[in-house]
Amino acid sequence: MSSNIPDSGILGIDTGGTFTDFVLLQDGALTVHKLPSTPSDPSQSAAAGIAEMPVMAESTVAHGSTVATNALLERKGARTALVTTAGFEDVLQIGRQARHDLYALEYQAPEPLVPAELRLGVKERVGATGTVLQALTAEEISLLLERLARLNVDAVAISLLFSFLYPAHERALADAIRNRFPALFVSTSSDVLPEYREYERTSTVVVNAYVGPLMSTYLSRMRDLTAHPLRIMQSSGGSITVDMASRQPVRTILSGPAGGVVGARYVAEAAGYSHIITFDMGGTSTDVSLCPGQIQTTTGYAIGVSPIGVPVIDIHTVGAGGGSIAKVDVGGALRVGPESAGADPGPACYGVGSDATVTDANLVLGRMAPAHFLGGRMALDAGRAAEAVGKLASAMHTPVERAALGVIQVANAVMERALRTVSLERGHDPRDFTLVAFGGAGPQHACELAAALDIPRVLVPLHPGLLSALGVAMADVVKDYSRTVMVRDAGGMTALETAFAELEAQGRQEMATEGFPPDALQVQRSLDVRYRGQSFELPVEWPGGDSPYDAMAAGFHQAHLQRFGYMDERNAVEAVNARLRITAPTSRPTLEHSEPTSGDVPSDGEAQVWFEAGPQATHIYDRDALRAGHRFVGPALVYQMDATTVVPPGWQAEVDPYRNLILTPESA
Amino acid sequence: MAVDAVSLEVFRNLLASVAEEMGVSLGRTAYSVNMKERRDYSCALFDPQGVMVAQAAHIPVHLGAMTASVRAALDHLSLEQGDVAILNDPFLGGTHLPDVSLVAPIYTEVGGKSVLAGYVANRGHHADIGGMSPGSLPLSTELYQEGVIIPPLKLVEGGQTNDALLDIICRNTRTPEERRGDFAAQMAAIRTGERRLLSLAERYGLSTVHEHMAALLDYTESLTRAALRKVPEGRYTFSDAMDDDGLGHGPLLITCTADVAEGHVVFDFTGTAPQTIGCINAPLAVTESAALYVVRCLAGENVPTNDGVRRAVTVVAPTGSMVNAEAPSAVSGGNVETSQRITDVLLGCMAQAMPEHVPAASQGTMNNVLLGGRNAATGRPFAYYETIGGGMGGGPNGPGASAVQSHMTNTLNTPIEAMEFEFPLRVRRYAVRQGSGGKGRSPGGDGIIREMEFLSPAHLTVISERRTSKPYGLQGGEPGSNGENLLLKGGSERQELPAKASVDVDEGDVLRITTPGGGAWGKSPE
Repeated sequence: MSSNIPDSGILGIDTGGTFTDFVLLQDGALTVHKLPSTPSDPSQSAAAGIAEMPVMAESTVAHGSTVATNALLERKGARTALVTTAGFEDVLQIGRQARHDLYALEYQAPEPLVPAELRLGVKERVGATGTVLQALTAEEISLLLERLARLNVDAVAISLLFSFLYPAHERALADAIRNRFPALFVSTSSDVLPEYREYERTSTVVVNAYVGPLMSTYLSRMRDLTAHPLRIMQSSGGSITVDMASRQPVRTILSGPAGGVVGARYVAEAAGYSHIITFDMGGTSTDVSLCPGQIQTTTGYAIGVSPIGVPVIDIHTVGAGGGSIAKVDVGGALRVGPESAGADPGPACYGVGSDATVTDANLVLGRMAPAHFLGGRMALDAGRAAEAVGKLASAMHTPVERAALGVIQVANAVMERALRTVSLERGHDPRDFTLVAFGGAGPQHACELAAALDIPRVLVPLHPGLLSALGVAMADVVKDYSRTVMVRDAGGMTALETAFAELEAQGRQEMATEGFPPDALQVQRSLDVRYRGQSFELPVEWPGGDSPYDAMAAGFHQAHLQRFGYMDERNAVEAVNARLRITAPTSRPTLEHSEPTSGDVPSDGEAQVWFEAGPQATHIYDRDALRAGHRFVGPALVYQMDATTVVPPGWQAEVDPYRNLILTPESA
Repeated sequence: MAVDAVSLEVFRNLLASVAEEMGVSLGRTAYSVNMKERRDYSCALFDPQGVMVAQAAHIPVHLGAMTASVRAALDHLSLEQGDVAILNDPFLGGTHLPDVSLVAPIYTEVGGKSVLAGYVANRGHHADIGGMSPGSLPLSTELYQEGVIIPPLKLVEGGQTNDALLDIICRNTRTPEERRGDFAAQMAAIRTGERRLLSLAERYGLSTVHEHMAALLDYTESLTRAALRKVPEGRYTFSDAMDDDGLGHGPLLITCTADVAEGHVVFDFTGTAPQTIGCINAPLAVTESAALYVVRCLAGENVPTNDGVRRAVTVVAPTGSMVNAEAPSAVSGGNVETSQRITDVLLGCMAQAMPEHVPAASQGTMNNVLLGGRNAATGRPFAYYETIGGGMGGGPNGPGASAVQSHMTNTLNTPIEAMEFEFPLRVRRYAVRQGSGGKGRSPGGDGIIREMEFLSPAHLTVISERRTSKPYGLQGGEPGSNGENLLLKGGSERQELPAKASVDVDEGDVLRITTPGGGAWGKSPE
């Protein structure tokens, strides 16, 4: 692919809570590295890794950052003011009026990111057709500046009603604030998310402003620490420049999980599988995402209780992970999660905690290969795990291994529900997909989940723990633009063309500023379309051509049929948002692959591992010793530094040319 | 597969996901703003006896009512494979006419024979179902004025839709096309539920599914009883009142004695006012919903939502009283308003038993605003329905939440920008009503001020409560402020509207609804 990103190489960095992962793609070779994270300043471990790896001077560093995510989840963002249309200062607090907890006797409402005293109304109003009903006056602007001067804030979010139709008022306010207070981080809703629905738009721009100052500081520190060209992973699966990430950090909120999906898709596609479900099971939660040929994004994501309307890879998260705590409740049911032992104290077998977790159950069942956990660098306390699970077992009046099997089954039930949500509930048949399992615990559970949903194949990548860093390195440079258009008939199509042309001009200009030549760019136009009067839109590609309205309607009917099982061609169709994605593809080094060997599979001994039918003699394999073409049958256990793969009885494994493990039911 | 601690939990997930998936299907395919944007619907799964085994958590007031719908369908129809029943009759399985339920039996093959696997049902609030005023929550005096009454009937028989029935229903509403769309969504949700239940039967075997349905009901019952055993045994009485019935009668007393013993509670409403001529009578299903909701809250979040809760609860409601009204009394507001007061009374009883656990009264109303007319800009008819949140009561652990839907409802608001795109309305103010929560150690939450201007002439109905009475405080806390309804004719001339109002409005008029604050819990520190 043509691109101006030099072929010299890319270093992908993913800063997680415990470890920072590095994947270097350079000269056709892939080098991996892992360092303990430095949570107080993540740039330290990132910089240390860059220094320790043989990165060529001109290589690009691509970074998945959790700075914005953590600032938001830990409520450690900037003191932020919110400017709204007068009379609507409380939209952020009222939200959608619903409580998040239906049966709480004492419901605790989440505190809005901007408290009442920092929410400022200005007199102005734009109507639903974009006409100015009340103009914003100079007096009103100076009044606002005086109020802001007294509030001692670090950031300002501006969100006025219908600003996506008429952004001039927001811009005038932003200009005035920047002039008067040059140090403030200022963000407008018409810039970050020019789409209708005031609460979601306001929430998005508030999140942006709230994490803005921290993110800008962090990124400038990163720029000081490394001379390499720097790119930042965004939640949509593409990367952006440091400038863009500094202005719109809300786009990076889900960058780690997004990296995982991009990495999974890349690995699977190279191996010949285009339709995948990613299954990333970590310590506290599991992320799943469905990619029917391409990565799906959503604009309906919420982090905590704050909606963010910018594109995010459609990732569904459930609170079941290796650290999820199992207990028997007073009604006699075995519950797993959502409480988690996390990294601290961690599962009982880590030697500190005493609650039984999913990891402890796996250890009790012999599914951990404890001697090789983290390359043998960390000892697991099997006795402590057995004791913790044993307490459950006595409450369940069952042997300890049965209790452990139960913990796995219940955790699997929760994850199965997640897989079902992203596939069957959205009109996709799991039988058409490959399950790509990664994260520390994914490969332990993948086959049993695949069996439950009739997924015919599981792919475990060569580096299941480093997929996110790989994805960060592989991501294209992507910019997403959108605008609410509300086009209800063929007559409105000209307006749509104009909107697309404007968005494209803006995108091309911004790409040019960042040094991407015009011929390298790919432009995708799409529309959010719905039946008139509905409020849930489906994405439809912009059809172009002579009668775009009819073509758009036809495309929408089909999409509706796929997703909901029916369509109604008599019903009028309306285009709500125009979306434009502009991509500068990165040159992706091909992954190493090799011809199949015909040698014997080197087994690393045998152990007793528990499955549903009872304990079974199980072969153990060292992942590092497996080569393309190796085949073996379950029950088997494959250990490697960052994960253990469980191949249950009735399953077979084959190592493909990229050294992925391909697991299939034997009968298949 | 025998029932054990593990399979119980696995099936809790499986059955809940059937109901949830129906809800996802309904919400995403519905046409009306009310169902799609505000999610005013519920979906549930039932065993072959018509006992509810899972309900998706949407609207608490539908809790007890879903079971009543299925029972009515079973009592009045002989449902067979390929049939779908429809009903909204408040005295035959419904609650108020806008809530229309669909109920379908699901059959599967076992050993070459067709066997009943269970029932799926859903209920959606239709933005208009006919009757004397747009939105179908009128200030009525008898049921016949409230819209088209649908006794249990087969909407689909042997796989064939009864188009004549659907035509009659839709023709009797002000927005027939929207109704058809919403009914199609409810049908789609029935099909989703059917597919999911059948796939469970295929995967685990029908008898295993049924054993686990039974086990989950037992499980829920035991959790509920465990929670009720923590309530000190005894009899606890509390009374409160509805402001009025919209026709000058009131206040109207609602009183209850809760008798708690051995993990069971009897709620006895003897002494409650007789049913009234106005529209705020509650059919028994509404009263049962409130009782189940309160017990559900006491039992905690982890309890599955199914009829196992019901086994620990008995409701005694005198026939012909406001909490067990008889046909053909007017009930349009019973579901949305009286249900909230019943909840206040029930929680008041529990506060006598557990003063350190139960919060003060929340706003105690849903502040229903209904509007209908013709959009002057497009010439199309429109029907708009909204409920407005308010303050929740303060409690032993902290202040009440502000500006939120409480107790029996949890519908979303319509975004201002969506509303102005779709309806001839302009919102002038949408704000937290500062200072309206009761004062005390844990203050009540604040209400909302919502002000909107009409851009076309329209007919307006407001059904609200706590306009004269105030949400009570507890343990020395002060009550919350009452709400107010105000019409500004031509944008400025003040005209107070009563708690229940039905008026024609002109272009340029402005409605200001001010919702109640919650009561406070505990005395203010001196």
